Amino acid sequence: MKKDLSHILFVSVMALSLGSCSKFLEVHPKESISDAQTIFDKTSAEEAVRGIYSALADGGYYGTSFQSIGYLAGGDIQWTGSQSQVQEFINHNVSPDNSTISAAWTAIYRVVNRANQVISKVPEVTDASLTDAYKKQLTGEAYFVRALAYFDLARVWGGVPLVTKPTLTASDNFGIPRATSEATYAQVQQDLEKAESLLPSTVNRFRATLKTAWALKARYYLYRKDWANAEAYAGKLIADAANYQLVNPYSSFFAGNVKGTAESVLEIYYNGGTETNGHAGQWLPQTSGGTRQWAPNDVLVSLLNNGAIGGNRSALIAKDNQNRWYGNLYRSINASSSYVIRTAELYLIRAEARAQQGNPTGALADLNAVRARAGISPSAAATRDDILLAVENERRVEFALEPQRWFDLVRTGRAAAVLNVTDPARLLLPIPSQQILLDKTLTQNGGY
Amino acid sequence: MKNWTLVWVWLLAFSPVFLQAQTETQPTINSILSGKIVDSKTKEILDGAVVHIKGTTHEVQADKTGQFKFVTGQRFPYTLIISHVGYQTLELTAGTAYIEVALQPTNTRLNDVVVVGYGTQKRRNLVGAVAKVDPSQTKGIPAGGFDAQLQGKVPGLQTTTTTGVPGEAVTVRLRGVTSINADNTPLYVVDGVFINSSSLQTVNTGGKATSPIADINPYDIESIEVLKDAEATALYGSRGANGVIIVTTKRGNFNQKSRVSLDISQGKAWAPPLWKLATGPEHATLVNEYFTNIGGVKPFRPVSEGGRGLPEEQKTYDRLGEIFQTADLMNYDLSVSGGNNVTRFYLGAGYNKQESILKPITFDRASLKFNIDHKLSDKVQIGSANTITRAYRNQGRAGDGPAGGLLQAALHTPTYLSPTNEQGVLVGRAGFDNVSLLLQYYDVHSISLRYIGNVYAEATLLKDLKFRSSWGVDYNNYDESEYWNTYLIAGSPAGLATSSISQNSSWLNEQTLTYRKSVGNHSFGVLLGNTLQSNLFKRTFLQGTGFANNSFTQISSASVVTGTQNWSKNTLASFFGKIDYSFADKYLVDFSARADGSSKFGVNRKWGYFPSVGAAWRLKKENFLNDIEKINDLKIRASYGITGNQNGIGDFASQGLWSGGSSYKDSAGISPQQLANADLQWEKTSQFNIGLDATLFDSRVTVEFNYYYKYTKDGLLQLARPATTGFGTYWSNAAEISNRGFELAINTLNIEAKHFTWSTSFNIAQNLNRIEKLPTPLQYGSRNLILLREGSPMYSYNLIKQLYVDPQTGNAVYEDVNKDGKINSDDRQILGSIWPKFAGGLSNQFTYRNFDLGIQFSYQFGNKTYNHNRFFGEGGGARDAARVIFASNLARWQKPGDITDVPRADGVNVNNYLDAGSRWLENGSFVRLRALTLGYNLPKQLAQRARLQNVRFYFSGSNLFLISPYTGPDPESSANSNQNQPGIDLGTPPQPRSVQIGLNVTF
Repeated sequence: MKKDLSHILFVSVMALSLGSCSKFLEVHPKESISDAQTIFDKTSAEEAVRGIYSALADGGYYGTSFQSIGYLAGGDIQWTGSQSQVQEFINHNVSPDNSTISAAWTAIYRVVNRANQVISKVPEVTDASLTDAYKKQLTGEAYFVRALAYFDLARVWGGVPLVTKPTLTASDNFGIPRATSEATYAQVQQDLEKAESLLPSTVNRFRATLKTAWALKARYYLYRKDWANAEAYAGKLIADAANYQLVNPYSSFFAGNVKGTAESVLEIYYNGGTETNGHAGQWLPQTSGGTRQWAPNDVLVSLLNNGAIGGNRSALIAKDNQNRWYGNLYRSINASSSYVIRTAELYLIRAEARAQQGNPTGALADLNAVRARAGISPSAAATRDDILLAVENERRVEFALEPQRWFDLVRTGRAAAVLNVTDPARLLLPIPSQQILLDKTLTQNGGY
Repeated sequence: MKNWTLVWVWLLAFSPVFLQAQTETQPTINSILSGKIVDSKTKEILDGAVVHIKGTTHEVQADKTGQFKFVTGQRFPYTLIISHVGYQTLELTAGTAYIEVALQPTNTRLNDVVVVGYGTQKRRNLVGAVAKVDPSQTKGIPAGGFDAQLQGKVPGLQTTTTTGVPGEAVTVRLRGVTSINADNTPLYVVDGVFINSSSLQTVNTGGKATSPIADINPYDIESIEVLKDAEATALYGSRGANGVIIVTTKRGNFNQKSRVSLDISQGKAWAPPLWKLATGPEHATLVNEYFTNIGGVKPFRPVSEGGRGLPEEQKTYDRLGEIFQTADLMNYDLSVSGGNNVTRFYLGAGYNKQESILKPITFDRASLKFNIDHKLSDKVQIGSANTITRAYRNQGRAGDGPAGGLLQAALHTPTYLSPTNEQGVLVGRAGFDNVSLLLQYYDVHSISLRYIGNVYAEATLLKDLKFRSSWGVDYNNYDESEYWNTYLIAGSPAGLATSSISQNSSWLNEQTLTYRKSVGNHSFGVLLGNTLQSNLFKRTFLQGTGFANNSFTQISSASVVTGTQNWSKNTLASFFGKIDYSFADKYLVDFSARADGSSKFGVNRKWGYFPSVGAAWRLKKENFLNDIEKINDLKIRASYGITGNQNGIGDFASQGLWSGGSSYKDSAGISPQQLANADLQWEKTSQFNIGLDATLFDSRVTVEFNYYYKYTKDGLLQLARPATTGFGTYWSNAAEISNRGFELAINTLNIEAKHFTWSTSFNIAQNLNRIEKLPTPLQYGSRNLILLREGSPMYSYNLIKQLYVDPQTGNAVYEDVNKDGKINSDDRQILGSIWPKFAGGLSNQFTYRNFDLGIQFSYQFGNKTYNHNRFFGEGGGARDAARVIFASNLARWQKPGDITDVPRADGVNVNNYLDAGSRWLENGSFVRLRALTLGYNLPKQLAQRARLQNVRFYFSGSNLFLISPYTGPDPESSANSNQNQPGIDLGTPPQPRSVQIGLNVTF
């Protein structure tokens, strides 16, 4: 018996020691897969494209941070919380170590990398069930999102490093000098044209189609002051009245947790569970599950509550149990949509483009369409300048809680007059300081 | 074959059956010997001492009166071997019928047996730096885990209790820190099992985490050894770089009558002096002052003018008093231990319940312990150690953050704000929950079920050659749930519940072969071994939102349910060996090496090699010290070796991965997750140690000194990548960190009189930490208060230095570091770190007749703490209704000529109240009365009359006083358990003061 015991001990030792160690030391995850084989068939191609939208929806991008840059800096939002990086946008004194700009910069380039993965890998996939047309559509969506990403980078920071190849190893995609602002916008246009050539002419309010590409082109040309093209592309969607409408009343594109109304050209979808939007958490009061980190300021509250200016857009704000106003566009914790392009924007793009091209009648028609939907009387503006100002003011209340006003005032050169941002260097935000530390070829914007 | 026949013979010879058979035959009686065994100093009787006649199998045990009696066939004279636990074994020749034997206690530390890696050693023969802790003196400190009780006990071991919540993680660091992204916690080995020391918690308690060490009942611990230098830790190779803490639990003794021990204690804990807050009128005055300063309208003006009422009309509401309580403490432990000549056992059961001084948090632990050893023969022994624990916690968010934040709701809400609104409904204020509602509806619980156990078999294969094989398991099932109803922020608007079950199971298999031989003056030993380890982690997490109403609390009633599942595993294969040699107990030298293969590392770098060498010279054995009687022993030692670290990094850190879960619009999506690093490898720490051990003046003074230098290379770092890559970080070996310092421990026996003894232990240590190499600086913590930068110590405070407040203007004047005329984040500079210049402890032990008194202090000197509570509480009124104002803010500048360091209020994060201002960085030095124990042992005769062996009454107190320049309640407090953001005091309760009375009965 004793002999057996010692035998057992010895045998087990030998077995364990001499057993294949290398196999024992090879453990693979179950939640992830190796990056050696990622996009290889129809399903994985579709999933990788959804991965791009998922990054677009991220908290750093359309899921809060990037959008907050646009509305906090617009002059109509006040900060009520404890994190002072929010205050920096309101004061137009953003420091390079501001965590919001860092989050946005990082999130946008994550989108770029995911789009690049699709752009480079999907065309190479050989899978009989993946038709050529579908391949084009998937690749076209990636081009569209990349265009949006560079557009957003350009309007916040100016020229940025242009990355168009996927990151496959640790040595890829850094040390790329910043392109000029012109070159960055050129990249946007090039990607949009590529998308236009690939995308099908369908309607999808949550993903990119040919129509979405047209809408972004309209906005792109507006920013580039190419009024004719801005008018033309905005008109393409307005003309498609069966699909793109100003829903009435104003609140019917967001109230009651509706999603994908005819108002939306591109809306980011969140299911509230695995896909969550942080916006409501920042806007809503504690009783609704938020923190009311920021809120409409007194000026905005009075504008929206003014029947002649806000009209039924007063639905954008409400009072909490301590009698404080809060923003009520994003109404459902985690599950509210984020709005990227709405039909109203296309009307106002065309109004502005028409006014710029000396077509006051057409401009007023578009402007008044938006006003009518808000339940207010037509604009009394008559001259070109009056109409342009009326459009600017309309955009202020129409997009009161969306990221438009700051970018509008910057592109029209009115930030100094309206917001008293007299230092032109402050019209661009600083490159996140951490990124400059990490990549020596990145240069800071002037004035920071 | 022949050997094993012999074993059988031996076995039969020792078996009770055989003995019994022998007594049945008529024995020849040649002598009768009786006697009494006492302690040589106290003359107390020693029951249970074993008396053995040399060269025979015959032995007896002393009874309760210390008496023993032999009736034997042996003729006088013969040699007796007398042994008793805690005493030196004595050999003497018996020639008369009655003898009185006095045994010498083994109180000289030289003969201490110290547990070291894969074996034990006599202290006098130690080559490495090892500290032994007797846990009995500190077990009265109310804390969940024994680790929290170690403060001030071991030089070089820094234990920081960052919260007053019992059972939450404490920070334990040995000789500084070596890593940025790998774990800096020492390796805990309990009865040979490498146990998990990282929390499995998922519920949000504001950055804090529970302590897995609290699953172990301190009462079951026999001894704790702290292995410090490379000689001592190299056998633990890849896991030894942070030091090793070996925990040995209690076992029975062979040939010991069963002994039952019962220990009961009850006590109270209460908060030390808390924060002083401005009253309602004071708050209003400061807010008005702020609005006046910026040219605004005073909000506290008559209601008739649309204001909130004049300052003097404001009421003051006390929320701190509502949330702090005098907490109950109770502890029950029962154990039975004993053994015969082939089997020994220890059976223990314990129950511990502690309320936190912060309502409604509690910690509750029930534990069961069973250890057994059995000799199959005199060559083969088997045994097992088993711990089963259930730790139940009512948890609360006692750290950073608003939703559900307990202490922040009470401390950070302005005192003038009523807990009810105009309609009389309880409401939360200033972004925090209402304290009464929190206390009424708080519902966060966790249950940790833990099994730690091992089985072993040990066989003597040949003379001097031993083989041992063991299997160990650490299994933890951690079950948490939380429910937030709609009265609370976290549950708004329609309720939120989560349920999470995490399982961490690791197993370990280990074989060792030891050979030990002495020939003349030469003594040497060889150890060979291997281990295989595997750790598997699984978690299932569910979250439900959208409950029908507050009566439904289970996720099954939620309208939106999401779930996640996690799985992770790592394996480790190791081979190790050690050779030691000593000549005449005078020159000692050893070499060891370990090879570790880890599944975590890159395909090119799976294996790491960790050698060490150590040598010691016992000068006392040299002729020139032989005659110096004042020196009982003197030894110098030196060691050098390399240890590694891989703990705390992701199990798949080296692999290039894509993950699922990037879903969009309810359909699955995939995305890049992590870049591959095929060269990811071990973090390696080389350590040099030189030490001196001296025993002086009749062994009344012992001195231990160590100096060490540690250098960590290939430090594991989540190296930040430029965002243009689309990736945030990348696991790499990019950091280098050094630690150097000294440790000194002095133990003295000051007075040893008949009825009175007084002994003292003092220790002091210094560690200097420095980041030697770091590609880019890293910032951590709220407002980036903590900076890790090349050339500075880890966890330095990076702040804007306030020089003074201009007496004329009342404005703060800061140091313009870059001289650009602007004060902004570019003017931040390092103004100290969390590291003390010196730290240690002092304890005094007195005995007088049957009384004993122990007083233990711990201290730190020169460390800084960022008082983040005060940062918020000294906003000067600019935060208005959004934050509390501390009374200290009343010292603000008001008029020209005022000399103060509190500037006039001018806003939040502008000029006078800049984020990261140095005004809130404070000196965190302290001296703490860590433990005070007063005990009384009932006289033996009295106890024995009640058929009890020992009865002891005791009183113990902890943290009874604290001396510190720090203005918060506790300079050790820190809001976050993340190892890279220590030293920021926010929203967490201080360690309580406590007293307990207890009774210990042994029979």
